[in-house]
Order: sequence, then structure tokens, then C-alpha cells
Amino acid sequence: MGTFDWKVIYDNFPFLMKGLLTTVELAIIGITGGLLLGIIVGMARLSSKKIIYYPATLFVNFFRSLPLLLVIFWFYFLVPLLAGRPMGDFFSASVAFIVFEASYFAEIIRAGIQSISKEQMQAAYSTGFTYGQAMRYIILPQALRNMVPSLLTQSVVVFQDTSLAYVIGVREFLRSASIVDAREMRSLELYAFIGVIYFVICYTMSKMSKRLEAKRGMAK
Amino acid sequence: MIEIKNVSKWFGDFRVLENVSETIEKGQVVVICGPSGAGKSMLCKCLNGLEPFQEGDIVVDGISLADPSTDLIKLRQKMGMVFQRFELYPHMKILENITIAPIKVKKMSQADAEKKAFELLERVGIPEQAKKYPGNLSGGQQQRVAIARALAMEPEIMLFDEPTSALDPEMIKEVLDVMINLAKSGMTMVVVTHEMGFAREVADEIIFMEKGSIVERGTDVSFFKNPKSERTKEFLDKILLV
Repeated sequence: MGTFDWKVIYDNFPFLMKGLLTTVELAIIGITGGLLLGIIVGMARLSSKKIIYYPATLFVNFFRSLPLLLVIFWFYFLVPLLAGRPMGDFFSASVAFIVFEASYFAEIIRAGIQSISKEQMQAAYSTGFTYGQAMRYIILPQALRNMVPSLLTQSVVVFQDTSLAYVIGVREFLRSASIVDAREMRSLELYAFIGVIYFVICYTMSKMSKRLEAKRGMAK
Repeated sequence: MIEIKNVSKWFGDFRVLENVSETIEKGQVVVICGPSGAGKSMLCKCLNGLEPFQEGDIVVDGISLADPSTDLIKLRQKMGMVFQRFELYPHMKILENITIAPIKVKKMSQADAEKKAFELLERVGIPEQAKKYPGNLSGGQQQRVAIARALAMEPEIMLFDEPTSALDPEMIKEVLDVMINLAKSGMTMVVVTHEMGFAREVADEIIFMEKGSIVERGTDVSFFKNPKSERTKEFLDKILLV
């Protein structure tokens, strides 16, 4: 006791890395799924049609007002009910992340689209584009470029959020460490190790977003 | 070709257009001038359905804009538009700015669209800028690209919303020259502008608007020589001084 023994990391390295892989998978699913759903919801938030605007606004306000942990729990019980059969904890967690993060991505997308002047849309319309074409070819490419820093920042948050899947038993990075800990009783070393890994990944991602922002600033 | 019948538009209590009527024949060039806030740009944007209006009707080639079943997307393909602040797509090269609509809307092949784009760039005098981004061009060059972009859809009517007011003085002429050539080639044009030199040279009719209404109209000679209303005279005195 009282001394650090890093051998526990070495011995359980493959198991821990499998956990990290699950975390990365969960993050990628949450980010891409959340972003795609977020684009749709974000555009819906700008609709002049009430039947589109109100449900999207309700969705965004609802999920942004709930703790993520609660949403994860809720979907854990709800998803099997909707599917009519057990779907597994990883699947439930994925659905929870996509839906929850979409509500945050949607607001970034909405602000990004609003940052493009109304005249760009009119110019696109004036050459015969439909709304969908104007969005796809003219507005979204510009808006997404403006949004890159915020989207990356949110992606870092998603990456950290995945650790909450712990509570429904998903063997992500944090849970795999706690499983090893239950067996080997090396809490300090294990949690320090995964802490460092979380830090390195998230810090690198934020640095990248800062650099992109600086580059964009210079290009202007 | 364009018939504007008693069009009115308002935001709440504020009247932007008040009972505006006008007929524009094929091949005519109509210049709209007037003080800012007179509703000139709004009228221009109503013509291709970018802005809705509450009363009256605009009929283009027999198609009514007031009719809710009218396909505005189709209608806009007949009309090109040039904006005050150019509104080129900043994330696309000049060539793509011009080819995107023919490719996506008219389903033209990329090769044909590019060939056409180069012809148009030649016509507006800047074929060497094709591979650059809009941000690297001067205002005058950008506006000429905007004209080429509109022409790429082979419109029957061209709308110009203050095409030279965002330009430095030395660039105005290069844009006006392109517009004059276009007018002389027989294009039907509606031009919101204060460039009275342009109006003198090519306008078939000049309209003076104030507070959402047409106050005076005339051919160039009658309009400049003996304006009927005091307001038109005052306005002309002010802008012709410079």
C-alpha cells in the first residue's frame, strides 16, 4: 500500500483499450447521428411553417432542459419497450446520445444558418433553385464552415459525455477501468491512467478547433 | 411581358408599395429611380416573387404571381437578378458560381455549362478570373460575374437592384458598359438605379417612385427636360449635380 503500481495498467491494457474503443465508437455515433439529426432540427427551427417550427422548438427546449444522465436512463427503459424486445445497453445509449446531442447541435446549426445573409438565399432563388437546393449548395456549405469551431467544441463535450453510459452498464472506458479496479483494487493508478487518456484526447481536439479558428480568422 | 396591376404591399401599418401599376413590353428597358425607402428594391424583388405582396397582381408572360398555385421556381428561371451587394457565393470559384444553377436546375452537363460560362465571362470582359474566388475580385469584377451568373440561365428578363451603388466610382463604368451592351442586344430589363447617364442612353421609360408610389413616369427626354411634379424636379436637381 501507499506505492503506485503501474503494472495493473500493463496487465489489463487490452481490456482497457477495448473500453476506449467502445467510448470512441459511442462518441462517433453520437457526433455523426446527433449532427445529422441536428441539421434537420436546426433547419426546422427556422421554418416559417408552424407545424414544422413548433415540434422542432419543443424538441430542442425539452432535451436541453433535462440532465443527460436522466435521458440515458429513460431511453434505456424506453427503447426496448418501443422495439418490443431487448436492444442492449450500447444501442440504448447510442439512441440517447443521438437525440440528446442533436438538441445541442441543432442550436449551433440554427445560429450558423442565420449567420448567412438573407440575400444569399435570394440570390440562389433568383437563379431558379428550390429551397432544398439553395440550402444544400449555397447556405449549408457556408454555414457549416462558420460553425466548425462550435461543432468541434460540442464534439469534445460529446466525447466526455459518453462516460455517463457507465450507469446503464455499457463497457466504455470508465466502466472497464472500474471493472478492473473491482478485481485488482488499484483505483488511483487506474483512474489516473484513464484521466490522462481522456485529457490527451479532449485537449488535442480543443487545440485543433482553436487552430482552425485562428486560421479562419486570418483568412478573413 | 410584365404587367404590374395595382400592387400594394405593407408591413403592419407601414405601406411599402401603394397601388403600383406598370406595363413592360418585351425588349424594353425600364429604369426606376427615387429616394431611398421609396420601395424601388421592393418592387424589383416582387417581380420575381422574392418578396410577396398583399394586393394586386403581377403577370409575367401570362403567369400570375398572385395565384398561389404558380410555380415560382419555374418563373424565376425566366428572370435573372443582379443584387446591390453582388451576392456571389463566396465558397465557390467564379466558374462554379456561374455553372451551379445551369447544372443543378437545367441539368446541363458540366462541360456545356463551363463552355457557356467562359463565353459569358468573355462577354463581361473577365475570362481570366474564372479560377479565382469572389473574395479576390474587385467590386466591379464581382458585379460583372453576378451578371454572367444571371445570364447563364438564359433569362428573358433581367432585374437589376441598384447594381452600381455598392461600387467605387471608378468601377461603375465597367458594370454600366456591360449593362448597356445587354440593353442594346434587346434584353428586357428592369433597373433600379440613380445612374442617369445610363437611363439617358438606354432607358425606354423612367419611373420616379416616392413613398411606395409611382409619382412620375416618362421617356428620357420628357422625364429630364420637364418633370411634372415638384418632387421629381427636386430629386433630379440633387442627383444630376454630381
